[in-house]
Amino acid sequence: MKIFSESHKTVFVVDHCPYMAESCRQHVEFDMLVKNRTQGIIPLAPISKSLWTCSVESSMEYCRIMYDIFPFKKLVNFIVSDSGAHVLNSWTQEDQNLQELMAALAAVGPPNPRADPECCSILHGLVAAVETLCKITEYQHEARTLLMENAERVGNRGRIICITNAKSDSHVRMLEDCVQETIHEHNKLAANSDHLMQIQKCELVLIHTYPVGEDSLVSDRPKKELSPVLTSEVHSVRAGRHLATKLNILVQQHFDLASTTITNIPMKEEQHANTSANYDVELLHHKDAHVDFLKSGDNHLSGSSREGSFKETITLKWCTPRTNNIELHYCTGAYRISPVDVNSRPSSCLTNFLLNGRSVLLEQPRKSGSKVISHMLSSHGGEIFLHVLSSSRSILEDPPSISEGCGGRVTDYRITDFGEFMRENRLTPFLDPRYKIDGSLEIPLERAKDQLEKHTRYWPMIISQTTIFNMQAVVPLASVIVKESLTEEDVLNCQKTIYNLVDMERKNDPLPISTVGTRGKGPKRDEQYRIMWNELETLVRAHINNSEKHQRVLECLMACRSKPPEEEERKKRGRKREDKEDKSEKAVKDYEQEKSWQDSERLKGILERGKEELAEAEIIKDSPDSPEPPNKKPLVEMDETPPVEKSKGPVSLLSLWSNRINTANSRKHQEFAGRLNSVNNRAELYQHLKEENGMETTENGKASRQ
Amino acid sequence: MDDYDKTCLESALVGVCNIVQQEWGGAIPCQVVLVTDGCLGIGRGSLRHSLATHNQRSESNRFPLPFPFPSKLYIMCMANLEELQSTDSLDCLERLIDLNNGEGQIFTIDGPLCLKNVQSMFGKLIDLAYTPFHAVLKCGHLTADVQVFPRPEPFVIDEEIDPIPKVINTDLEIVGFIDIADISSPPVLSRHLVLPIALNKEGDEVGTGITDDNEDENSANQIAGKIPNFCVLLHGSLKVEGMVAIVQLGPEWHGMLYSQADSKKKSNLMMSLFEPGPEPLPWLGKMVQLGPISDAKENPYGEDDNKSPFPLQPKNKRSYAQNVTVWIKPSGLQTDVQKILRNARKLPEKTQTFYKELNRLRKAALAFGFLDLLKGVADMLERECTLLPDTAHPDAAFQLTHAAQQLKLASTGTSEYAGYDHNITPLQTDFSGSSAERI
Repeated sequence: MKIFSESHKTVFVVDHCPYMAESCRQHVEFDMLVKNRTQGIIPLAPISKSLWTCSVESSMEYCRIMYDIFPFKKLVNFIVSDSGAHVLNSWTQEDQNLQELMAALAAVGPPNPRADPECCSILHGLVAAVETLCKITEYQHEARTLLMENAERVGNRGRIICITNAKSDSHVRMLEDCVQETIHEHNKLAANSDHLMQIQKCELVLIHTYPVGEDSLVSDRPKKELSPVLTSEVHSVRAGRHLATKLNILVQQHFDLASTTITNIPMKEEQHANTSANYDVELLHHKDAHVDFLKSGDNHLSGSSREGSFKETITLKWCTPRTNNIELHYCTGAYRISPVDVNSRPSSCLTNFLLNGRSVLLEQPRKSGSKVISHMLSSHGGEIFLHVLSSSRSILEDPPSISEGCGGRVTDYRITDFGEFMRENRLTPFLDPRYKIDGSLEIPLERAKDQLEKHTRYWPMIISQTTIFNMQAVVPLASVIVKESLTEEDVLNCQKTIYNLVDMERKNDPLPISTVGTRGKGPKRDEQYRIMWNELETLVRAHINNSEKHQRVLECLMACRSKPPEEEERKKRGRKREDKEDKSEKAVKDYEQEKSWQDSERLKGILERGKEELAEAEIIKDSPDSPEPPNKKPLVEMDETPPVEKSKGPVSLLSLWSNRINTANSRKHQEFAGRLNSVNNRAELYQHLKEENGMETTENGKASRQ
Repeated sequence: MDDYDKTCLESALVGVCNIVQQEWGGAIPCQVVLVTDGCLGIGRGSLRHSLATHNQRSESNRFPLPFPFPSKLYIMCMANLEELQSTDSLDCLERLIDLNNGEGQIFTIDGPLCLKNVQSMFGKLIDLAYTPFHAVLKCGHLTADVQVFPRPEPFVIDEEIDPIPKVINTDLEIVGFIDIADISSPPVLSRHLVLPIALNKEGDEVGTGITDDNEDENSANQIAGKIPNFCVLLHGSLKVEGMVAIVQLGPEWHGMLYSQADSKKKSNLMMSLFEPGPEPLPWLGKMVQLGPISDAKENPYGEDDNKSPFPLQPKNKRSYAQNVTVWIKPSGLQTDVQKILRNARKLPEKTQTFYKELNRLRKAALAFGFLDLLKGVADMLERECTLLPDTAHPDAAFQLTHAAQQLKLASTGTSEYAGYDHNITPLQTDFSGSSAERI
């Protein structure tokens, strides 16, 4: 797993001397006459490619495969050598594509057969290649900057692929010596430079190419270490398709590629649309896609040595039915592919099929006849990947179901609401940088986290824990109040919502308060409204610091909501059992308003669940001197002022408001401290609600969605 | 003859090797615990013999170490250090760990060999290798204590530039949500069950809420089962909506949470780990560039939830998506020439495609320095011109002559006519006004 291996930088040095204009002496028929028109017409004479054309198209094919499979971090620098070196591109990522290279090659054109051979040499190109290897790539630069004092960990290795026509073995040795020498010199230069890097390792791949039918004057030589920095290998290859085959083998070796042949691809015949035949398509990809075959050593089962090349391909069978994209497969790797024969009809049929967004599962042929799906071909954004699917036994066999674990017995989760919440909190890419008001870069992912924080400030998990989220009438307010900022229209909508609720209360409309598990009829109508208003206030208060407009919503809410007279409050309490009354009085006497919300009976349904746990809390509370355990503090505890308000009689709205805001603001930080103090980072919301109501609960009923 | 009555560690390791690979393949990490009295066997098959011949192995009788799967080899010696050190046993066992790329550890007994000391030795192994991984799953203010099983393994990104293994945070922070169709079966390093756990005040685990025979636990678990838990809510909604939650595991490290169904009835909250790095999935782009949809000018998922911002399109198309020209096989070249010819015979209706194919061939021929081909195709077009039937549209002859002439000019290689970006455009004729399409 090295980013900066020899494969990070590849320099192609292609000979552009007059000799390369020679024909490769391999003819191509290009005038293929259609049957019914052949009468009396003599086809045009076949043509043949020059050594230059063969070299260029083979190296372009090498680059095509490389760019398909490694579009990033594997870079090519293309150099053409004649009377001087022509560097066709740079290491920058923008220069790394076939179009750029093709355009640059077209500008160079074919070698001039009439140029003076004495002036031309491949040496110019080799020297330039060493020079360019010392140049730092943007990836190397980035890594060095990131590593700071460890910058020396960033390696500088590279490969030079030189295609030339050498005169003899000693000529080859001369070229090697030259590269050796040049590396030595340039490393000295690079040592004293910030912009250059010393070459740690260079692989020289010398390819001697010559016309078909001639004898080679140069012998093959396997890789040999010429110095600790330089290794060299010599390939003597006939031009034409032999050269292309050689470079195809090399690209596989250099980039750890392997071959997979997809077999049994059903394809409509061009001529007979209603028949279909089965085709094979060979794909190249990183060899890790075969990791399961290699490690388990059964690659001989399906691997077959193909004629004409030593490489092996693994056969995988096209599998129907196809998979749908809603299924999440357990995939252990995904590797980009490149078809070996990109323009052939079977290849383009397969790639177009995949590019249209369909996926296909691939089956591994096994001797036993059992069917094992081991791979999947799928495209993502115009790139095709070979996915490796796990076909071995899972270590997570027969795990307990989530319904058997913590919280598994609770049946009234707000699943649909949370689904809506998830849709609102979906992610989307922001490719252009955005800036905050202070000019610093805004990180979209941080914005996403901020939004989640805002949206969850008050989010009851179960239906029986909430009233307002079960009310359609509250939706216009609840959906906008969580926003970072509100528009005038939003505020207006919130106000309308509140007025609407006031109206409902005036008309004595029923509220969707959970009565499940309660004894008797449940809370009275006026009490229901008080519960609802309190909860709404909790929600709005959680957001008042977002903006001034949020405060205006609270302002409206406070002005509109009904405040039960103290007498009624007392009467209500009188209904409760004495011991219970005492406890709750002591424990939450500071949180009068909050409490009034809590001691409603609508939470009864859930309370039995926590009964045992509560026993412990009760003990603490039984003693009047015991302090409230910090972690038991409710999240929303800012409502410490209502009693003051109530006793004041006629007060101006302004003073009422500013009073409230001031107190609320001063409490805010405490509230968060309380949360920080909570045990194990567990914010136990409304724990006290359960505690008080728990005593009244008898049965644990299952609340249903209203 | 197979001997099963003598110490033969190599065969045992080979056996382990085969079983693990058959069952779980080569990607699942496995802890191998070797319990030994510290004696290495005698003669052939003894560990001494195995190690002595280690360098003379061929592919067929490869030494089982290093294991061909991610592994830790724990050697539990029923002997104390002094005993082992008196012979070369310890050295040999250490060699084993070394051969497993240093992955593993040797445990010995402290003090005399007795049940208590053996228990304490295994206790140490449990502490080292089998401690559950506890974490807090967070989504804004909604949180849950969880156990992640199996324990996530540390990961090395690049042993050269970043050799320190990355470990996942104990705070697993949800950053947002993505549709399953958009995340699209991503490759993952490993996957783990996320089990909600109930912690008591001291932070000890009370239980996972799973019913057990033990009565105390039973009641504790029942309570835990009835307290609303964020994991259950999250799991339910992920399942219903067909979505995954993207979770931050550490700096530049992310994963996904999703519902995994074991059967129709049983399903679970699972977490898969992406490879660490700024861009684990090319089709999502850089993770830090993912933001909330509310920040976008218009909802990228559409008002009716009918579109998606994913997958991201890469800047450059791959070769198979951009109609590249490859003439390595003669058939490639022949197909391209045939295409031109076919369209030439349907002029002027196919003027546009004719010139499109012609220009594609021209570009490739210029890049490959294959000027003879341009001459050849020019000759071919001229011949086609002479073969035109009497019924042919008069424009066909004009276009063929024009195209042939332009190719001939390009084949001279002179910069004026052989520019790569230059395109041959249709000849404007009196006939072309209405019938010929523009390029």
